[in-house]
Amino acid sequence: MKGTMLLALVLALAAPAWAQRADQPLPGPALGSPPDASLPPSVPDSPAKPELIVDLSSPRVSITSAFQGESLLLFGMFDPPGEIVVVVQGPAARETVLRKERFLGLWLNTGRMRFDDVPAYYFIAASAPLQRLLARTGGGEILSLEDRLSTIRPVRLRTPAQMAEFRQGLVEVKRREDLYPANFGQVTIQAGRLFRADLPFPSRLPEGVYDVRTYLLRDGKIVTAVSRPLPVGKVGFSAELAGWATAEGPVYGLGAIVMALVLGWLGGAVVRRL
Amino acid sequence: MEIYLPIAEQSMNVFVLFGLGGAAGLLAGMFGVGGGFLATPLLIFVGIPPAVAVASQANQVIANSISSLQVQWRRGNVDLRMGLVLLLGGMIGSSAGVSVFTWLKAIGQIDFVIAVMYVILLSSIGLLMAFESVRTLWKRRRNPTAPRGKLHTHYLVHRLPWKMRFYKSKLYISAFLPIGLGFAIGILSAILGVGGGFVLVPAMIYILGMPTTVVIGTSNFQILFVAANVTFLQAVTNGTVDVVLALLLILGGVVGAPIGSRVAARLPGVVLRALMAVLVLGVATELLFELLRTPASPYSLGPREVLQ
Repeated sequence: MKGTMLLALVLALAAPAWAQRADQPLPGPALGSPPDASLPPSVPDSPAKPELIVDLSSPRVSITSAFQGESLLLFGMFDPPGEIVVVVQGPAARETVLRKERFLGLWLNTGRMRFDDVPAYYFIAASAPLQRLLARTGGGEILSLEDRLSTIRPVRLRTPAQMAEFRQGLVEVKRREDLYPANFGQVTIQAGRLFRADLPFPSRLPEGVYDVRTYLLRDGKIVTAVSRPLPVGKVGFSAELAGWATAEGPVYGLGAIVMALVLGWLGGAVVRRL
Repeated sequence: MEIYLPIAEQSMNVFVLFGLGGAAGLLAGMFGVGGGFLATPLLIFVGIPPAVAVASQANQVIANSISSLQVQWRRGNVDLRMGLVLLLGGMIGSSAGVSVFTWLKAIGQIDFVIAVMYVILLSSIGLLMAFESVRTLWKRRRNPTAPRGKLHTHYLVHRLPWKMRFYKSKLYISAFLPIGLGFAIGILSAILGVGGGFVLVPAMIYILGMPTTVVIGTSNFQILFVAANVTFLQAVTNGTVDVVLALLLILGGVVGAPIGSRVAARLPGVVLRALMAVLVLGVATELLFELLRTPASPYSLGPREVLQ
């Protein structure tokens, strides 16, 4: 009710300006634009009473020596009515997209473009068809993959056509590795107030702190959102080895050499006895 | 059973990797070469990133050559002086090779260069061996007791300056020859992850003119240190040595090698060489086919750079 009144107020204030310049779009949060300070925040800072409670089946994704990808269960409860949208985003980094072309009959990388701020992983799940939800909300801070990727910038400026091609290539590769799952996930709502969703993580998963954000939408607006950091990292033996390899390359290299020498020596000696 | 490879950052079937190591060991036992030149392309076929395959294979070569060197050293089949001169070139070559590797990786061409070099190398060796075995079979049929030729012939390369005496090899040749040879093998070793024995051994026999008795031991001596240098530099500069992968390959090799030498003892040399030629040409053809075939998607990703 309060929200509707505020919106009406904003519209009333904006109406004269709108009348003067008819080509200007309606004020309001555009898809992917930074939040407008004059508007109330889409996500209340501290709801008086939690309307949305979210938890994950595991506080982290552990990449062990037996890791083959994992599916986490996200579950929670909300004050009905409403719809739930979950956006999982991997840490942003610079990615290099390479493109092969035929050269003298052989396929080799001839083109490359680097993009900044590319999420390692991007997954959206929703309790209703997302297109419909987004059309009604106008998006706000919930971005479809296309909208999220429209904000990434190439390190060196290129023509829009080239950028679009390479951005498409980036999505292709990420899709292939299941890092940008092609299908939207399903959030199932039970008993009107309980919800659950499966978050699929593939085996070749970049490390870092992922952001799992759950939104409660009501009448096309974000009522509240809960953000949970999800650390993804190697643990145990593989973590130790990888950490060692990056932090102490010389020690790791010597260790690898010693391992090979000992095994080769022993192996040779044992086999000759047989 | 799957195992996660911490540097390749993917999980892979343990038995596939163990089997690959075993196959390479089998070859090593059968033909007296390292087997790395077949293991690396096979690792790439099963989906290991080429940069990791090459660096981890170099790690495996260490185990292979120490185990062979053990025997050769005891039999006194190592020309230490020749080995050290070769090694001088080998160290420079492999260090330069790792720098080239790092540069190629940075510009996104390392996979292509590895594939092309393997195609060239494997097809020329395969064709040479096929030709050799056909000729031997042909000769044997026509003239079973051909007289043996000179110990070695003298080419232009034998007139280079800075001559050294290599007593064990009964040679008096310019030190530039083994240094140059070691340099070339060092580059191969760094970029392809092979020991290079399959090139080094014929080169030592036909170019340097070394007696065959000391060739295997001396080449293993040089390969051991060059492979260790490559492993170390790859670990430090590129961080692409996966010890879990190398461990599985080594264990497979330990099992495969004695089986290979037992098989080899029962087959005549010509048949062995013909078999090897077919195998080498098969891998070369497959690699070439991969380069010529239109890829499912022309796009791939380079390494992710997390900006601090």
